[in-house]
Amino acid sequence: MYNGRDFVVADDRSEILAWLSPLEPHLRHNDIRKKRVKEVGDWLLRTEEFVSWKNGDGEGESQKATIFCSGNLGVGKTYIR
Amino acid sequence: MVFLTICDYSSLVIDTLCDEPGEDGEDNAVACFYFDSSAQKEQSATSVLGALLKQVVSSLEQIPQEITDAFRRHKKFIGGRDLQLFEIVKMLGNVSSAQRTFLCLDALDECAGPDHAKVLLSLKDIIEMSPTTRVFLTGRPYIGDEVEKHFPEGTALVSVTPPTGDIIRYIRAKLAESTTSGEMDLKLEEEIVKTIPETFSEM
Repeated sequence: MYNGRDFVVADDRSEILAWLSPLEPHLRHNDIRKKRVKEVGDWLLRTEEFVSWKNGDGEGESQKATIFCSGNLGVGKTYIR
Repeated sequence: MVFLTICDYSSLVIDTLCDEPGEDGEDNAVACFYFDSSAQKEQSATSVLGALLKQVVSSLEQIPQEITDAFRRHKKFIGGRDLQLFEIVKMLGNVSSAQRTFLCLDALDECAGPDHAKVLLSLKDIIEMSPTTRVFLTGRPYIGDEVEKHFPEGTALVSVTPPTGDIIRYIRAKLAESTTSGEMDLKLEEEIVKTIPETFSEM
């Protein structure tokens, strides 16, 4: 694939992405999401803090760019083997 | 053995952000990193920010010129140089400005001490460069003060204590997934007996 403008070809794209990082965090995400239970955690998505953080535009009350969800559950490990 | 953990909540948030289009109808860029104390080597600040950068860049149709140029420049020397943290942070700040970007990091307390602070400082720099970028963090409560310290414009705080409904749904689902073999029933029973009191002790 040659886009005609700046020499980025498909092979280059994957090479550049691999150079940016050899890690594949989506694999862990997929493992965890497969084991998730429907509706568990939906309350979190409805909290005022989450909604205002997600929709915030950096002005006024919604200027908080970060949200920190704290909990001790699971002893910090995804799965205890 | 399976437990309901903070990662379950993180993955739900990440999927929700991926599925919801932004206000302008454009897709959000979403990048995530799950810290794991058993993988310290792979979670230096440089590795973590590099992994986030890669995910944001892969969501773009075209790799930005800044990154292509840097790749060509670095490739020329000593068989290919890697990026330094400050270069990654600058690139991530730039690419995040191009669309609504969410950076999600799970279990920050599982990241080793010095890198921990570097990760937070880097995120702070990225938000300064790209004020519409949103950062989602989870971790044990004791790191809350450190998180707040790094983001002077304010951090929204949510305490994740699963309501009873979550615990019941979770246990029912895990029961339904079990096989009918006697051995599994015994194991599962053991798990339930252990899980319920532990989870409730958090409440």
